[in-house]
Amino acid sequence: MPADYDKDAYPEPPRKTPVVDKQTALPNPALILTKVFYYAVDLPVTTFRDVVDSIRSNNKLVYYHQRFRRVPDLTECQEGDYVCCYEAEMQWRRDYKVDQEIVKVVQERMKACQQREGDSYKQNCAREIQQFNDVTKNYQSRYGDLGAYASGRKCLMKQKERMMAAQAQSA
Amino acid sequence: MDESASALLPCRPTVVMVGMSVLRSAAAFAARLTPLKPGSSPANLLTRAIPRTDKAAIRWGHGKKMFVIKPSDYYDRRFLRLLQYYVLLTGIPVAIIVTGVNLFIGEAELAEIPEGYEPEHWEYYKHPITRWISRNLYDSPVKDYEKMMAAIQIEKEKADMRLTQMEVRRHMRESGDGPWFQIPTLNKDLIDHSPKASPDN
Repeated sequence: MPADYDKDAYPEPPRKTPVVDKQTALPNPALILTKVFYYAVDLPVTTFRDVVDSIRSNNKLVYYHQRFRRVPDLTECQEGDYVCCYEAEMQWRRDYKVDQEIVKVVQERMKACQQREGDSYKQNCAREIQQFNDVTKNYQSRYGDLGAYASGRKCLMKQKERMMAAQAQSA
Repeated sequence: MDESASALLPCRPTVVMVGMSVLRSAAAFAARLTPLKPGSSPANLLTRAIPRTDKAAIRWGHGKKMFVIKPSDYYDRRFLRLLQYYVLLTGIPVAIIVTGVNLFIGEAELAEIPEGYEPEHWEYYKHPITRWISRNLYDSPVKDYEKMMAAIQIEKEKADMRLTQMEVRRHMRESGDGPWFQIPTLNKDLIDHSPKASPDN
């Protein structure tokens, strides 16, 4: 089950449960329905999860986040040094994956903000929307139309084109 | 209806049989709960036919017997039966194993790498089955990386050697003072110059 969101990030206002002042002898249908739901659905599901958790806590597994060393870039490799090119290519692929995940995280933030704010999201989420637009524009300019056979070399050529265009524009 | 259909199926226990018996017991239970109007025999309790009490029928029982002529569906049903059998033969053990692993072992939790500890290559994955596959079936990614780099190095050395060989050939052909491109000719000392020794022969 995924973890709950950080409660300190979006604090809920303190609850104000009213004092029960029942003036009729008739039973409250809402109360009956909530009790029925609790005993029929909530309690069995929670007990099942507790049972499964107690079985699982005997063999707890951990996994780690792998950190890779930085290796020389494609621009720092000699002409015929194919091993250096391979290492640079692998590093570029890892960076590509990381950038994709970054875009996904920023998009998640914007979607969560929109969901939270409801109809007034254009005004209240301006910062998230701006960040998302910036990140996607940068991603598009760097990795945009490289295609399925993208490689570090092609990305470098794209960067060269970008720099040439910027120089032609500024000149 | 149920008995005849059960008789047509072979005696291999399948899921369908179990389902049918469940349905039959459910129909009997429902019939017991809501009794039909008087005049209904126990034969059509199963089929839940509502009898008409105003018009007395002469025939009770199944109804008019019909001889239905249709093409044989034996082959279709055989195919579906065999498909079901062979899919479930490995499908059910796989489902049991995966459910058991997810329930009793559970996924791993993210933790910081402790100081001075080098995790094994399978400890970077979350799901226990992925960890098992990585541990027992696959080589570590570091080893794969090194294998790829070794292959690239070998190919690079081969390419370099071929290039130098081409260069050396070019030089040997041009200058001709190397061991290659030597065409063996006859020894000059073997030539008999005696017919040409004197000019007036």
